[in-house]
Amino acid sequence: MAQNTCPVQSTLQYLSERIDSRVLTDPKVRRICDSIRMLVEEISLGEAGDGHMPAIDELMAEFETRRPDDTAVQTREFLNRMLTDHREMFVSHIESRNCPTHDCGVIAPSPCQMACPAGIDVPTYLALIAEGKDAEAIAVIREDNPLPWVCGLVCTRPCEMMCVRGRIDTPISIKFLKAFAAERALSDRRYKNPEPAPPNGKKVCVVGAGPGGLSCAYYLALMGYAVKVIESLPFAGGMLMVGIPRYRLPREVIDREVAMIEDLGVTILFNTRFGTDVTYEQMTAQGTDAFFLAIGAHKAWDMGIKGETDFPRVIEAIAFLKNVALGDRHAPGKRVVIIGGGNVAIDAARTSLRLGAEKVTIAYRRSREQMPADIEEVEQAEEEGIEFAFLTIPTEIRGEGDVITGLACNKAELIAKKGTDRLAPVPILGKDFVIPADAVISAIGQYVDDSGMTAFDKIRWTRRGTIEVNHASMETSMPGVFAAGDAVSGPATVIEAIGGGKRAADAIHRHLNHIPQPRMPKIPVRRHKRPMIEMTASEKMRLTRPSMSMLNVDRRRTTFQQVELGYDEDVVRKEAKRCLRCDVCRRCGKCVEVCRDKMGIDALHLGYLDFDHPVKTDFRLTSEKCITCGACAANCENNAMVIEERDGKRMLKLCGTILNEQDIQHCEACGAKLPSAQYMAFISDKTADVTKKSDQRLLCNNCQRKQSARIHVSTRPVKNK
Amino acid sequence: MEFRRGSRVEVFQASSDEAWEPYMNDFIGAHGVVTDPDTSINDPDDLIEVSLQGKGTHRLPQDCMRVLDDRQGEPS
Repeated sequence: MAQNTCPVQSTLQYLSERIDSRVLTDPKVRRICDSIRMLVEEISLGEAGDGHMPAIDELMAEFETRRPDDTAVQTREFLNRMLTDHREMFVSHIESRNCPTHDCGVIAPSPCQMACPAGIDVPTYLALIAEGKDAEAIAVIREDNPLPWVCGLVCTRPCEMMCVRGRIDTPISIKFLKAFAAERALSDRRYKNPEPAPPNGKKVCVVGAGPGGLSCAYYLALMGYAVKVIESLPFAGGMLMVGIPRYRLPREVIDREVAMIEDLGVTILFNTRFGTDVTYEQMTAQGTDAFFLAIGAHKAWDMGIKGETDFPRVIEAIAFLKNVALGDRHAPGKRVVIIGGGNVAIDAARTSLRLGAEKVTIAYRRSREQMPADIEEVEQAEEEGIEFAFLTIPTEIRGEGDVITGLACNKAELIAKKGTDRLAPVPILGKDFVIPADAVISAIGQYVDDSGMTAFDKIRWTRRGTIEVNHASMETSMPGVFAAGDAVSGPATVIEAIGGGKRAADAIHRHLNHIPQPRMPKIPVRRHKRPMIEMTASEKMRLTRPSMSMLNVDRRRTTFQQVELGYDEDVVRKEAKRCLRCDVCRRCGKCVEVCRDKMGIDALHLGYLDFDHPVKTDFRLTSEKCITCGACAANCENNAMVIEERDGKRMLKLCGTILNEQDIQHCEACGAKLPSAQYMAFISDKTADVTKKSDQRLLCNNCQRKQSARIHVSTRPVKNK
Repeated sequence: MEFRRGSRVEVFQASSDEAWEPYMNDFIGAHGVVTDPDTSINDPDDLIEVSLQGKGTHRLPQDCMRVLDDRQGEPS
């Protein structure tokens, strides 16, 4: 092993190669090596805790008791050597969470992957989509998220918030590309489940078939666990099904992806309420080894205003959306007012409109700018004719008998409260008004319904009314009971629940196999490294984020057909090519520094490299000054910046984008390859003080020396004494 | 302090909130972007989702963060 190679990284690579090439034939040896690999990987990523080295030692002791074949003996000897000779380095990685050789940093995931709560390897699947390999892209996504089609339609896309391309122009349309790939892979009948591990005889009970529960069930099933999911609704999906309207997420999309999970052997008991129809004692008696709670947050907060309980047409948004999902197609009223400013409020408003309401108004206490709903959702609601009453504080629901006549409100202004710069809505005295209405829907938030959880008496609840867990393992304070999703975070996002479910599946596996839990949530894993896609700087800069085709507004106001119609194939392939491949370029900025400060050329205008202060980027400007000297490429640790010679050209490429290309020159005397004319001119200028500039013949150094020598010999011959 | 989707933030101190776990001490000094603010009720007590450079995406109490600016990724 070279001195500057990290032993942790070398061990990881060696084990991966041994395991992936299937040379280890003894199942127990394979299992031991797989567990050691997992622990070493966490050490390399700075996620390991105090229990990791003892756990590796225990696994090695178990390895010693096996009578392995030659290959296993080699593996054992290698591991023994690495763990003995370089123990300090392993411990240093754990304690300092730093790799002195930077080898472990080389595998750092891209910002989009880091941003994804499920840790999906975005650059890899975008590269596959760009190559037209949709099924392969879906396989990569499903390594971290079993519901790619669902997320392709409803994800809040934190990945796009962190997309580095957004620092140049606009983020890659990651969400819609995922939806396209899923749809195409299903259409091509190439959307397949991975092969699950053989049954391991252990049973896990998952409470709730929402995104968190489904995700946990999927990954447990892949690991060979028998999974039983308890679901109170008549279908799977949880909030996906009863909280998100069909015009955003068609039922078929959920059904298809749930069916894929069921195909792995996951059993879902529908119309079954935990604690009533099935009890903790019954499940334990059936041999359940662990529980995973993903019960969501389905209870609505009260508004606390007068008249709230006096009229039948004061409806909770979450109950309203659920009833519509279950088949109710009656308009809540003719003039509907929705109270709230989140996505649930927008969903309730747009659903009311589709059911035939004549006028729908959203009343929100703050300004439009502060609305937490997705901007796209707000704009689409406006297009459909939803009205917004901002800075509006509801005070009373008024009516006669059982019938609502209006919602009394105060106009508000935003004022910073004492000791904080956070603006709070404060009623303006005398500015009262009434919004005429015959139905009021409250969408001010939900909380966790803990009924049915009484058997889990040792789990702790936070002061926010959510289940308390250790977020590294999603383990509750009750041994063997894990939880994730909205029940842990409060009402949050689909992708967060999916990520939590995946993390919990891993933690349950560790718990049942006596493997220590990680110290902190795992950093996402890069799944592959796809080849770069070559394109010119001009093309890379010219490509722009495509706009989405939408259903016409009349149909949107009357039906539940999907509103966003998706991208065409050629648009998808081009959009995927816009990706900057941040899985390869780590934006360390060395290339820019070397070019500007060491070479004095300053050809690289890569302002996007700076997270805090991004300035202008234009790949096309590189060719104006670049001399293809290769100093940037020579200093690039990740080979993101490379010099390539092809077809008589010397090219500088950044992650496949050709920043510059110049003709390769040849020595006129011997034909040897020479740098570009620009580079030669640069050197001539730099050495003008010591060497006379010659522009008569293009010669390599050797031929120049020979020529000089000949001149010296002919003009000043050496005299024999 | 008001956090919006897209706000660039810095984790500048440990939080005294019960939701603060020991591993979160690693995040102090990290910069990131708010990916999901208090979505439902604009509650300063809510945990907000933030994607931290090199540290992943986490839900953190608001008192450990301060806003650097409100727009991420726009060339100045």
